[in-house]
Amino acid sequence: MELQAIHDTLKAAGVAGLLGCDEPRPANKKEKDPGRAGMPFLLVDPAEIVPLLTACRDEPRLQFDLLIDLTASDPAADGDDLWVLIQLLSLKYRHRLAIKAHLPKSALSIASATAVYRAANWHERECSEMFGITFEGHPDPRKILLPDDWKGFPLRKDYEFPTEYHGISCE
Amino acid sequence: MIQEQAGAVLGHPVHPDSNVFVRILEWLPLPEIIPGWVVTFGGVMLGMSIFLAVMSVLVMFCVWMERKVSGHIQCRTGPMYAGGWHGWAQSLADGVKLLLKEDMIPKDADRTLFWIAPAIVLGSIFGAMVAFPLSYDWWFGRMDLGVFAILALSSTTTIGVVMAGWASASKWSLYGAMREAAQVVAYEIPLGLSLLAPLFVLGTFSLTEASAMQSGWFGMKWAIFTNPFLIPAFLIYVVSALAETKRAPFDLPEAESELVAGFMTEYSGIRWSFFFFEEYAAMLLMSVLGAFFWFGGFESPLTGALRASGMEDTSLVFSLVCFGTVLFKGFVGIFLMMWLRWTLPRVRIDQVMTMGYKYLTPLALFCVLGAASWEALQHLIFS
Amino acid sequence: MSNSTSNTPEKEHKSSYRAEERRTLSSGEEEFFFDVKTSDMEVNMGPQHPATHGVMRVLIRCDGELVTGSQVHLGYLHRCAEKIGENVEWLQYLPYTDRYDYLAAMNNNLGYSMAVEALMPGLEIPRRAVLLRTINVELNRIASHLVAYGTYGLDIGAITPFLYAFREREWIQALFEKICGARLTYSYIRIGGVFNDAPPGWLKEVGHFCDVFEEKWKEYRDLLALNHIFIKRTAHVGVIPKDMAIDFGLTGPMLRGSGVDFDLRRDMPYMAYGEAYEAGAFKVPVGSGEKGELGDSWDRFYVRVEEMMESIKLVRWCLGVIEDGPIIGEIPKVIKVPAGEAYVGIENPRGELGHYVHSDGGKVAVRCRVRGPSFTNIAVVEELMPGTLLADSVAIIGSTDIVIGETDR
Repeated sequence: MELQAIHDTLKAAGVAGLLGCDEPRPANKKEKDPGRAGMPFLLVDPAEIVPLLTACRDEPRLQFDLLIDLTASDPAADGDDLWVLIQLLSLKYRHRLAIKAHLPKSALSIASATAVYRAANWHERECSEMFGITFEGHPDPRKILLPDDWKGFPLRKDYEFPTEYHGISCE
Repeated sequence: MIQEQAGAVLGHPVHPDSNVFVRILEWLPLPEIIPGWVVTFGGVMLGMSIFLAVMSVLVMFCVWMERKVSGHIQCRTGPMYAGGWHGWAQSLADGVKLLLKEDMIPKDADRTLFWIAPAIVLGSIFGAMVAFPLSYDWWFGRMDLGVFAILALSSTTTIGVVMAGWASASKWSLYGAMREAAQVVAYEIPLGLSLLAPLFVLGTFSLTEASAMQSGWFGMKWAIFTNPFLIPAFLIYVVSALAETKRAPFDLPEAESELVAGFMTEYSGIRWSFFFFEEYAAMLLMSVLGAFFWFGGFESPLTGALRASGMEDTSLVFSLVCFGTVLFKGFVGIFLMMWLRWTLPRVRIDQVMTMGYKYLTPLALFCVLGAASWEALQHLIFS
Repeated sequence: MSNSTSNTPEKEHKSSYRAEERRTLSSGEEEFFFDVKTSDMEVNMGPQHPATHGVMRVLIRCDGELVTGSQVHLGYLHRCAEKIGENVEWLQYLPYTDRYDYLAAMNNNLGYSMAVEALMPGLEIPRRAVLLRTINVELNRIASHLVAYGTYGLDIGAITPFLYAFREREWIQALFEKICGARLTYSYIRIGGVFNDAPPGWLKEVGHFCDVFEEKWKEYRDLLALNHIFIKRTAHVGVIPKDMAIDFGLTGPMLRGSGVDFDLRRDMPYMAYGEAYEAGAFKVPVGSGEKGELGDSWDRFYVRVEEMMESIKLVRWCLGVIEDGPIIGEIPKVIKVPAGEAYVGIENPRGELGHYVHSDGGKVAVRCRVRGPSFTNIAVVEELMPGTLLADSVAIIGSTDIVIGETDR
């Protein structure tokens, strides 16, 4: 299914928070548009993420039963944006859905998707330790890859590398 | 009396009156001043040193054999370097290396138990091996109850193993020790019962007499050919012996990929080599015991031929032939054990216990009853 | 590290010596009972352990041999691959991709290259490059599954199959060495194609390898997969039902072992797989519960064993259709990827390896996310272990076929 069709199906199912489709477009010199390559994304409102994911999973024409990836991206060091990226896969219809949700760095909180997909459990743990996002309702918000006493959020662009850790120099 | 019966079969008493080493010393033209008890004592000491030497060499040979056998099964060569020809001195080299290693004891370990455990383990197994005669004439301890002694002393090693597991202050070692205790105790029963079957057939606990009873039919009157119930008894014996000696597929106590090295994890250097020694000594013992009670022990067509040609049982050549025969049979058994180790995966502990208690024990009892009934029937029919 | 109580619910287990199970007899009295007050033991299958397939720590709480809870601790091999992706140029990142799943480095290279190529729509990958990529990726799949086969045998206690499997793996690594110079971390599949053509005689040797491997495969299957003791150790152990597998986001042999017939190579084809499947070159093996329950460790293991055979058929097909030609597309020396974002997932020997790349038109990525299948696959272990025996935990962890480089990145 194409992204626009998925978007329309979700809208028809009464899902709120759909903010549009981010489709790739070729460069347009006249409008000074550098264009965007790659794959389409569905833009959503982070407040409505859980009903959206539930609809994606349960809607008979969509049936996105596998949560493939849940991560985040920090595009610019001086910007205020953090994007949560979710990849879904349907085994039956063999289509993918890529979702992007924007979070301002001042309010990094989003509902946890563990209630919908148990696969989200570990992905959200990694995302929260790397970016500092709080996943509300997560059953086990511990650090997963980093040591428990690590300070800072490494995958953010404004992360400062520590100079030492427990007496070991990190130069 | 079984001794008379055995003596009647052979044509002379089975055991000479005294140990061969004592007889050697008595034969030497020593000055009259030396009292008799000193000579006897000297004989005993000589016997002990020869015993330790012979057994150590046999065990080291076993270790080398394991490495070569495992190598060839795994499409590689095994030791080739130490000593020149196919690395025959590898065991010696390893022994020297282990002697030179640092002796580490974990901080929380119980020091007394830690050093006692390998001593108990090795002492027990050496004690059991005293009952293993090298030929009719060359024996270290005259044991009319040889089998009893072997079974009892080889079971005592379990105490040492449990001590080792506990004293290592490591949970993984404790797991190995607990598994070992459960497994060994469980398989004592089918081991003993399966040995009971040939005991009914041969009628003696002593190893030399058992061998003597199998000397008919030109050296081929082996127990396993005389009684059909001894065949399943032997199979049960093989399985139980593998479990007793902690060899694969029953090597859970030292499961390398689960428990690192089981109860031996914290041991290094010469202490570890005691456990290692015990494993191969126990293998040798079980294999040789099987050879004595099922496969004729010293008897083979060669001994039958030598006897028929008039050679005496106590002569040097005959004793050498006996020694060679029993060693050969023992090593065939050991080769079989090694072959199984490198082919089969490990059985899980609950499956091991189920098999021991639920299947092997009733089967062993059935074999004992069957063997005894067969013997009784033979007596009824042929007498 | 954190507190060692497990957060997963304890599976009920019956133990007959707990004070709570004291019975009331028919005479009205309480059963006389001596509470031995045993407590659960916490064992650390520590970072160094022969059976954890790398540096991973599994805290196991057990009641004797029965596991009552488990917790997986990762991060010992975390090498900040994603952060590095934001700091090095596109082509410079390729060797880092080798190193997460170091047993299937060709697949990692392919995943990353395909993700970057998705951002360069005008780039055409030549036919010979596509087929060479497929051949090498499938050979690497065989090599990776040989390691899975051998090390799983080691975990269960059979030491010899490991050495037999590594004979063939050495041959594959020698083939790789001839074509790209490395035995383990290849950096062979580059953006736009492959970087080195097959030397003369290489394709013939690959064909010869396929012939020899077919016979050996039967041996391996009979020696380990159909061995009775092995089946007793792995059947009915670590059963993952279908819906649990899908809920946990499992992919690859973990998913197919539970009976879900899905393989990215066939169902969402890329490279030459679509064409190969149309031509009947390979099938997708799916677990069927023939030795135990559907979704047990034996099923997952056997799916891998059968996949080795399917890879051989694929390689043979590719050898039949390959022709001469260029091996890399039109790529500048310093690659500047057009601005955009793309996610591409391919079928790694362990599951779906996904790369998400976000470019702003420069020489360096803005975000390079790696979705490693082992990371998702190992999460299910915490759920499977309670209620099994300690020896089974080794069987379960081994059947997930994880590589810690990919789990931690």
